[in-house]
Amino acid sequence: MKKKTIYILAFSGAAILAAVLIGGTVLLTRDSSKPALEGGVTIQGAAAINNLLAGIPQQGNALGKPTAPVTLVEYADLQCPYCARVAVGDFPALVRDYVRTGRVRVIFNGLSFVGPDSLTALDTALAAGKQGRLWHVVQLLYANQGTENTGWVTEDLLRSVGKAVPGLDVDSMLAGRSATDVASARAAAQQSANTAGVRGTPTFAVGRTNGILSVVDTQSVRGAIDSALAG
Amino acid sequence: MRLRIAIGALALVGAGIAAYLTVTKLSHVSPVCPTGGCATVERSKYAELAGIPVAMFGLLAYLGVFTSALRREELAVAAGAAIAVAGVAYGAYLLVVQLAVIEAVCTWCVASDVVVVLLAVLAVARIRQSPS
Repeated sequence: MKKKTIYILAFSGAAILAAVLIGGTVLLTRDSSKPALEGGVTIQGAAAINNLLAGIPQQGNALGKPTAPVTLVEYADLQCPYCARVAVGDFPALVRDYVRTGRVRVIFNGLSFVGPDSLTALDTALAAGKQGRLWHVVQLLYANQGTENTGWVTEDLLRSVGKAVPGLDVDSMLAGRSATDVASARAAAQQSANTAGVRGTPTFAVGRTNGILSVVDTQSVRGAIDSALAG
Repeated sequence: MRLRIAIGALALVGAGIAAYLTVTKLSHVSPVCPTGGCATVERSKYAELAGIPVAMFGLLAYLGVFTSALRREELAVAAGAAIAVAGVAYGAYLLVVQLAVIEAVCTWCVASDVVVVLLAVLAVARIRQSPS
């Protein structure tokens, strides 16, 4: 066999193999990479949320670099309309200005006092936290929030939300909700809320990382962050 | 001869990495990971193709290249190079997916990428060396 023939055989074989593998992967992963439409539930805001959170480190219920000098804790219920308003309204700018720049780390302390839908939603978000995707699920649930205690947190909705999150294993998230670490994370957030004297949601607490955090009202969050950064 | 030994040895290193990732994937265990992204990548939908772990395809590919290094036929030389070059292309595609879609990088996958690039270089060099 001539050397040229070996080259042709090798590179045409490589091209065919690569085309089959890459083409197969693109085809087989195509449908679920589109945000939306499982069981007829359309998810709003996925592109903007994925873009907002892309590349920011997440660990459990924390968003942002662990080395950030200031910590912002949010106590919230995923069914609370005011929480959703803050999440969709003020939060993206906070992420862009403070979290993405590595200056603030945000902790989501989810509560579930509004009703059963709160609990289902919260456990799902905490289970997503095990894959470093809690904040994606939280923001998507806020962006697609239904009326309180109407049973709007359906399995279809949660599955569709999960599918809209890049790199999230939806089955693993849904199965992980019943794990004891989810229940203990939920209990820890409740304990933290009790200690901080949280009476309603959303409630924010701001301070230097590993220092004492002060509870502030929603309008004062930005000012409190600036003060903490300056101090 | 040296090239064949180098290809065979590298293919075994790659097979070891792929075997480790296949076992962790099939047994639902998080791989040991310096960057923390391996489990995220391994749990993503890109880690399987038609229900088969992608790492298992890698393992078969490395074993294929190893077998080609054992043989002297021109067809084996061509096949070894074809698998290694295709591995580089698929590895590059998966690296882009890790960075742009999954937003997590699996260190073991990157290690495998390095091995397959070296293998491709050696496999093409083997064609150059072959008598025409």
